[in-house]
Amino acid sequence: MFNYTFQWKQAFARLPQMLDGAAVTMQIAILSMVLGILLAITLTMFRLSGSRILSAIARTWVEVARNTPALFQIYMMHFGLGSFGLHLSPFLSILLGITFNNAGYLAENFRGALKAIPETQTRAARSLGFGAAGAFGYVVLPQMLRIAFLPMTNQMVWAILMTSLGVTVGMNADLYGVVQDLNALTFRTFELFALAAVIFYLITKIITIGARLIAARLFRY
Amino acid sequence: MNHKFVVGLLAAAAFAAPAQADKLDDIIASGTLRCAVVLDFPPMGMRDENNNPVGFDVDYCNDLAAALGVKAEIVETPFPERIPALMSGRVDVGVASTSDTLERAKTVGMTIPYFAFEMAVTANDKSGVKSFEDMKGKTVGATAGTFEAIALEKQVQEWGEGTFRPYQTQADVFLALSQGQLDATVSTSTVAQSNVKTGNFPGISVVGKAPFDIDYVALFTDRHEYGLLNYLNLFVNQQVRTGRYAELYEKWVGGDLPDLTVSGVYR
Repeated sequence: MFNYTFQWKQAFARLPQMLDGAAVTMQIAILSMVLGILLAITLTMFRLSGSRILSAIARTWVEVARNTPALFQIYMMHFGLGSFGLHLSPFLSILLGITFNNAGYLAENFRGALKAIPETQTRAARSLGFGAAGAFGYVVLPQMLRIAFLPMTNQMVWAILMTSLGVTVGMNADLYGVVQDLNALTFRTFELFALAAVIFYLITKIITIGARLIAARLFRY
Repeated sequence: MNHKFVVGLLAAAAFAAPAQADKLDDIIASGTLRCAVVLDFPPMGMRDENNNPVGFDVDYCNDLAAALGVKAEIVETPFPERIPALMSGRVDVGVASTSDTLERAKTVGMTIPYFAFEMAVTANDKSGVKSFEDMKGKTVGATAGTFEAIALEKQVQEWGEGTFRPYQTQADVFLALSQGQLDATVSTSTVAQSNVKTGNFPGISVVGKAPFDIDYVALFTDRHEYGLLNYLNLFVNQQVRTGRYAELYEKWVGGDLPDLTVSGVYR
């Protein structure tokens, strides 16, 4: 049934190329998370602002980001904007596509986290003399980030896995893109993809363990 | 139970059991030939208005099934999934315009060539690319997993400037080219002409030939299935001999029939 002789040597010979790809994957994931968190905080503030327009923008963003496939979002960044003459490189397309997705999901996480913070916190801060911005920035925001820390870790893992969608917009420098190029060259599909899966697994495992350590250190009290 | 008895029993079982059926037998016995065909590669494989698979490769698979006296089943297989489809037993034979590189032949069994492509350069009209050499330093692309993608990526590395981008499907390559995301692409001349002709991709034209080797493509199956490979080789030979190859070429491509032999060497 499964007529195949595994040739692991051929796959391992390509390991350096794959690790270079993994570095690019990490780069995309980290950048998209940093940008995504900043955007998500902005969107959350839009929602709190009381302005109807700003809150509508934030709601639309979250709706589209959460209710359409990530593949569609990334494809639109490249070919959708491309049809209007705005040409993003594959790297930017995948980075902005994932950032868009991250921001949408994280904004929703942040909103949930905010709901978990008692309003008395804000009132107490205000009564101590903080302005509205100060109360949010010094008292509410740190608590929000703490509550949303684990969902953020999840999103980071998700961002790493989403980089594999880059191949649809011509990306060939990330881990999945490199593996697919090598596959076309050698037809050693199973070995290459198994190796790539292990690398993906290790990266995400390191991140979840790292996040747990950081959480233990940051949120000790 | 003594030792001799066991050995005798095993020997008897070995003689009594029929010789192990090979893949050729399996296909004939099952009554169905399952072919991996790429349906995003006009005119070799595509879909008609009613969404039925048509094209040179589809007809070729049907001919092969007819020769075997079985029913043909076209299994749509994108370029990168040809090998997984074969290895996981979803298809019997690849009729998928597969270039017979030595690197790939380490993994699958290739027949003698059944078709040959020449490579053409198609450019966006605004890019100023008028020939293959003009592509130096530009953003170029091709369909991931194809012979021309491998060759073009190597060429870009040799030039040392410009960017290479592989896209997942032929349609995406021509979409990116038409939008101006790519300045030029190298594809088989048949694909280039057929895509320019559709009018789906405005603002592009075929500007010349690419000086890559002729891309001979082969049928493929499991590497150790000599019985089937032998049959396939004879089938390819017969297709040419009986004039069916020329007939199919005229039907789907038209023009000068590519020679499938290489002078000066046996295969």
